[in-house]
Amino acid sequence: MDVSDLKKNSKLEIDGQPWVVTDFQFVKPGKGQGLYKCKIKNMITGAVIDRTWRSGERLTDADVESRKFEFLFSTGDAYTFMDSATYEQVELQADLAGDEAKFLMDNLSVDILFYNGRPVGLTLPSHVTMEVAQCEPGVKGDTATGATKGATLQTGYEVQVPLFIKIGDKLKIDTRTGAYVERVND
Amino acid sequence: MPGEVSAAGDGLATRDRVLAWDAALAAVRGQLRAAGLREVSTSIRVDAVALEPWIEPLASGEKLLATSPELAMKRLLCRGGGSMFQIAHVFRAAERGAQHSEEFHLIEWYRDQQARLEGITPGMQDVERIVAAVFEAVGAALGDRVRERLPAPTRWRRVNLLALMGETLGVQLVGNESAEALAPLLDRVRAAGGVVLAAGESGPHHLGLGPDVARLLAWTELFSLWSAHTFDPWLAGLPPDVGVHVERFPASLAALAELEPDERCTAARFESHVGGIELANGYRELRDPVEQRRRFEHVAGIRAHVGLPPLPMPDAFLAELEAMPASVGVALGLDRLVALACGQPRLDQIRLL
Repeated sequence: MDVSDLKKNSKLEIDGQPWVVTDFQFVKPGKGQGLYKCKIKNMITGAVIDRTWRSGERLTDADVESRKFEFLFSTGDAYTFMDSATYEQVELQADLAGDEAKFLMDNLSVDILFYNGRPVGLTLPSHVTMEVAQCEPGVKGDTATGATKGATLQTGYEVQVPLFIKIGDKLKIDTRTGAYVERVND
Repeated sequence: MPGEVSAAGDGLATRDRVLAWDAALAAVRGQLRAAGLREVSTSIRVDAVALEPWIEPLASGEKLLATSPELAMKRLLCRGGGSMFQIAHVFRAAERGAQHSEEFHLIEWYRDQQARLEGITPGMQDVERIVAAVFEAVGAALGDRVRERLPAPTRWRRVNLLALMGETLGVQLVGNESAEALAPLLDRVRAAGGVVLAAGESGPHHLGLGPDVARLLAWTELFSLWSAHTFDPWLAGLPPDVGVHVERFPASLAALAELEPDERCTAARFESHVGGIELANGYRELRDPVEQRRRFEHVAGIRAHVGLPPLPMPDAFLAELEAMPASVGVALGLDRLVALACGQPRLDQIRLL
């Protein structure tokens, strides 16, 4: 595409990687050349960089799509997901799943990102509900002090929780920050 | 209805937009008429536009939408029309942003200086008067309903562009350096500005281009990148009530301006900035049809080089240019001035619809 077609959320292929435009500013000084000052985010690694294009440059669209899958199982070096409508299975390499993997639970619905037809990343729901597998015994009534303790959740993920939390509690976790949000009542 | 907000998004309520534009248009006309200029209105659909790098006209049937009323008004000057102004609707393809719109209002005026050669100073003084008048009129129309308005400029500084470029880049520039001479500097400014070169673009500059076309391309890019990454922050560091006239443009960026007769390396061109926003561009007008055609041809060379379709040469204008009296001409972006006077950072916040 021509650089003048650039928009926020345009998906571009640069050096064999898919990037999304997250911030975008058009400036054109004087009788000068238009500049498209962008922040772009690598859709696989999440790295954000500044990039400026000049009027007249041509860019390559990235062939990316995102589809809903459910988590099935892990083999250690890869994660397997299934499309619950078609039963199609895809495998995502562990290094591509990155930190997100610590929230992967059976049947969790995620968005799998495909680049040139290959799965290259996953996007979690903003919040997940996870069970406490291990923690110190709960302390009743102490909800106001803000004191916390460590807890290990069902996937092995460790998080700071309030003192009243006990083993078997279900917790709402914000996947973007990794933080405890609240206890969920069944 | 008081309090109603226009569909164009946030910014001023529709009633305030109407009041602001009414006040601004009346103030501009009042200033320029009081200075003895007559108002004209020339065709929006034209056979040819001035060829300038990176200014792309929109087509309208067989014709083009005017990117500026410049050529038409100069032809009127050539025919003895005298000092005149116009508040024109102009169109430039693919210019979309906080301070850009594909359609906008240009106040364009020409002072017929007859035999006097006063240079560009009268054009700067016109800009100062128009800016002051519009700030005052819009302020009176809106009262205290719009807070955080920028103060009207109370002082104006004249800035030597070549000297400032040289100082901020740590080099000496005279204004007519070749593309080859500029190449190392351009690569440095590109890197600082986050530009990554396409394969085959680096190394000796713009291979296969004539030296004049390559020089125009290189200076235009250097000026653009330097403006965005160095000059705009420099402007932002000035007190808010200081207006700036930038002058002494390199000869390669003369566009339709005369070169300074004493050294031929810089152009009799200025740009005016208020609140960090570029508002106006003025020239002591070039009257040499041979030189003007040469400059248009350089732009045509760039267009061919980057794969843009050819544009018609403005032959009718060139045929008359020799008869043009010595003039200073200025174009001022009215939408930007209204936005500044209303304290709104984006054009869509003051656009009527």
